[in-house]
Amino acid sequence: MRSLGLIDIYARLMFLELFRTPAYVVPTVVFPALFFAMFALPWARTPGLADTEMLSFVAIAVIGVTLFQFGVGVAAERARPWERYLRTLPANVAIRFAARSLCALLFGALAGACVVVVARLFSPIDLNGPQWALLALYAVLGGIPFVLFGITIGYWSNARAAVAIANLCYMLLAFAGGLWVPPAFLPAPITLVSPYLPTRAFGELLWSIAGAGHASASLVVLAAYTALFTTLAAVGYRRDEQARYV
Amino acid sequence: MNVVTLRNVRKSYGASVALKGISLEIDDGEIVALLGPNGAGKTTTLEILLGLRRLDAGAVVVCGGSPSDAVVRTAIGATPQASDFPEMLRVRELLAFVAAQYPAPADLGSTLSALGIGALADRYVGGLSGGQRRSLALALAFIGNPRLMVLDEPTTGLDVDTRRLVWKQIALASQERRTILFATHHLEEAEMLATRVVVINCGEIAFDGTPAALRQCYATRRLVYVGDPFDPSSYGLDARVTVQAGTVTVTTPDTDAAIRALVAAQVRFTSLHVVADSLETAFLAMTGGSP
Repeated sequence: MRSLGLIDIYARLMFLELFRTPAYVVPTVVFPALFFAMFALPWARTPGLADTEMLSFVAIAVIGVTLFQFGVGVAAERARPWERYLRTLPANVAIRFAARSLCALLFGALAGACVVVVARLFSPIDLNGPQWALLALYAVLGGIPFVLFGITIGYWSNARAAVAIANLCYMLLAFAGGLWVPPAFLPAPITLVSPYLPTRAFGELLWSIAGAGHASASLVVLAAYTALFTTLAAVGYRRDEQARYV
Repeated sequence: MNVVTLRNVRKSYGASVALKGISLEIDDGEIVALLGPNGAGKTTTLEILLGLRRLDAGAVVVCGGSPSDAVVRTAIGATPQASDFPEMLRVRELLAFVAAQYPAPADLGSTLSALGIGALADRYVGGLSGGQRRSLALALAFIGNPRLMVLDEPTTGLDVDTRRLVWKQIALASQERRTILFATHHLEEAEMLATRVVVINCGEIAFDGTPAALRQCYATRRLVYVGDPFDPSSYGLDARVTVQAGTVTVTTPDTDAAIRALVAAQVRFTSLHVVADSLETAFLAMTGGSP
């Protein structure tokens, strides 16, 4: 109970800080919808295509926000004196990881919602009530490994490198995972690795809502990546602690 | 009851030894000043008490547990080292965030007014001056209303008025039987506020006692008069005599004995007076450097 209360306290503070920086928040949340309008809308003329394109760009939105915007934030923050003070407060690091993840998932959901709004306004989307509910659930679940991936990058690289590395991972993995271009149109060498990527698993999970992907298999892959990135993030944290607070 | 127990704490950073086996026990209600030259081990000691550093050897118990345990830290409040705060928050929001993590926090408004920044509650942290940030840092240590407060140089960077307010707050906390450990460079501050002074030098405790004992133990006094010099050693006196333009200065730990010797020697003297060295001088003598 105490832990939940603490996660709430830390998440609220993070939210408050973010909302005070609209120049950061607005582009972060709106960009994926903009990309969707530019690159996907022209192709989304039939209900089936429109659904698939929208689902792909919800994945891109969630990954962009969770991995790129939130996860790597730790790279800059862990070097600040404020971090040293936070370590003297009565909340351990797991609380702060959880609060950061919660914030990232909410912002990711918001960015995904923007894509949905644009898609519904300008393309023939054909999803029913239960499918929308499933989309909300999957969008949040699928974001979890990517927050942890971002935190991993944040702990294993320095502040300057982290943003570039995360950007590269985001772009390459989204492409190779078949989110920008459908998997069937990927170059041959990439189709060999694509099925094993977390981005592909997230895509498959969302496409399954429209009857195209494999939900349960994708959930297993995403759970495996969650375990992997949790471990890597925890090891990275310990490594940073060893170096900074020996 | 013990709030802090350090037992034979050793700590090295690579080849450089920061603490060479420090033992320290602090009781409820004690106000302890930690003094020492830069690099003596003050900060390392505080960091160990806050759970920020691991020990090489020895034991640390704070408020009945290990400070690396988050629950134990509900009994500890500390000041941030640098004034590096989240800029986009209001003072009120930052304090409420810290207060919410403690079981019985202090009142936000009165904590701010007590430190002279009551009018700043709704200001953004990013817009505060350096001095205001220092006051805020102290408010962050006080707001949790903890059993033990660890303050790292609480009055550095403050103006005279604010410094007085901080002294008053520490005195008030002392009346409430809270335990405060503060590191300082200002001997007069230690003398005025602390019930106990601990001097760390070269990773070891060089002195541990009341401010008065520190003065008594290390302060030397000088006997100054105009007249003829005399030889104190023939009266069994541990003293040093210097003469400058007819003024004789006798430096000795026991000025009373020196006066008796002076009279017994039947030396001509006028304008006799005794000068007590400051704690500052005592400190310099002890650590062989600057405070």
